[in-house]
Amino acid sequence: MTAQPDAPAPERVSLGIGKLIVPSLIGGLVALTLGVYGRLHHPTGVVVNIAGFTSAGYVKSWLATVATLFAIVQVGSALVMYGKIPRVRAPSWIGTLHQWSGRIAFLSAVPVAVDCLYGLGFQTYSTRVLIHSLLGCAFFGAFSIKMLILPKRGLPGWTLPLAGAVVFTLLVGLWFTSAFWFFSTFGVHR
Amino acid sequence: MRLNTPLVTLLGGAAVGVGVLVASMLQPSGTASASGSGATAPAPATTVTVPLTSSAPATTPATTSTTAPATAPATASTTAPASVPTTASASASAPGTSPAAVPTATASGYAPPKADYVGRVEGGGAAVAISVHKGKAVAYLCDGHAVAAWYRGTAAGGKLDLTGKNGARLRLNYGSGKAEGLVMADGVQYNFSVSLVHPASGATRPPGLYEATAVVHGIGIKAGWIVLPDGSQIGSVEYDPLSAIPPTAQAPVLDLATGTAQYDGVTLVASLISGLTGSGF
Repeated sequence: MTAQPDAPAPERVSLGIGKLIVPSLIGGLVALTLGVYGRLHHPTGVVVNIAGFTSAGYVKSWLATVATLFAIVQVGSALVMYGKIPRVRAPSWIGTLHQWSGRIAFLSAVPVAVDCLYGLGFQTYSTRVLIHSLLGCAFFGAFSIKMLILPKRGLPGWTLPLAGAVVFTLLVGLWFTSAFWFFSTFGVHR
Repeated sequence: MRLNTPLVTLLGGAAVGVGVLVASMLQPSGTASASGSGATAPAPATTVTVPLTSSAPATTPATTSTTAPATAPATASTTAPASVPTTASASASAPGTSPAAVPTATASGYAPPKADYVGRVEGGGAAVAISVHKGKAVAYLCDGHAVAAWYRGTAAGGKLDLTGKNGARLRLNYGSGKAEGLVMADGVQYNFSVSLVHPASGATRPPGLYEATAVVHGIGIKAGWIVLPDGSQIGSVEYDPLSAIPPTAQAPVLDLATGTAQYDGVTLVASLISGLTGSGF
């Protein structure tokens, strides 16, 4: 990484936004690739199961719920980090919590997404599955963008919170169109 | 240079994803969810706790007589009273006594050996088709989307109690005018009361149950259509029907003039399953 002294803010802002272009393109490419793959390949049905659950649908729903819960920790820790919670001062470990809760959320979501993509594909037969398919592709694109812009310096202050908010919103939407529907339809248990 | 930990996270996740994908591809289809197969529907069956006895012909006031199907072999008296005034007045008039009644061998309790029944389920969200041919039965439930189930088994004395994949269940009584009961599949449960299909003279493709199987791009598919008496149709197609939980979607439109449908560039040729003629049995 080149070490450049930070120039006065007005001159840097436009260049700062420019640093978003490549990550955005990569994120878009990720989302597009997932969608095209999901649409073109023929789904084969459920693929992975874990003993102890009654079906793969439950494995995925619980994993997705775990991911969403850690994502909520993400938002909470981010609010503390940015000083948005009145009277709460960010402890020294809040950054570590934010990073690790994010990693756990992401890694929990990946097997679910692979199972969805590979086993079921990009489906459009109902509004719920259409939204889920679209959000799923968008989520991994948005997450890629967030990861890629994190180490960058000189970005406008709103980019990281915006990226985080988008990722969180997409994940919650994904959870509602899948695990929430599944638990509502089939009951909440293992 | 400091480690770019976000990039590590991203690439780590991608690696996990690729690993899961490869593991999925290496799994022979159908075995992956072996430990969990067959369990999705029974789980919802427990949440939908309505027992068959009270819900089967739940639309009728003659509920006392409906307990009989589950317990007594007095099938003749139980097919009729369910709700249909056309099939039986004799047994419907004595709901209190039918559980203990000896089967009245009247026309009211007649279960035709060859019959087809087709219609929408209660609520209209799906359709069910049942065909009975000399002691064997084939039935199909589909909602034109992701709910579809085939049932095969034996029929005796005007009753069917069939099971399908993943805990799907079909229980009904059938008679000379209607088939009534309840059907469960893919976590949904429907009550139904559907009418006998009368043989339409000269119609090459009458209302009823049609199926087609094909291999498309290396994957087997099985489509089922229920053509209703008003000419409308509801159909679903399953990918890889032999796998544990086949993905199911709306079937392409079945052209009743030609008996074919177009699926992904392949022409599906549908054949009628008819209890009357025995085709498909």
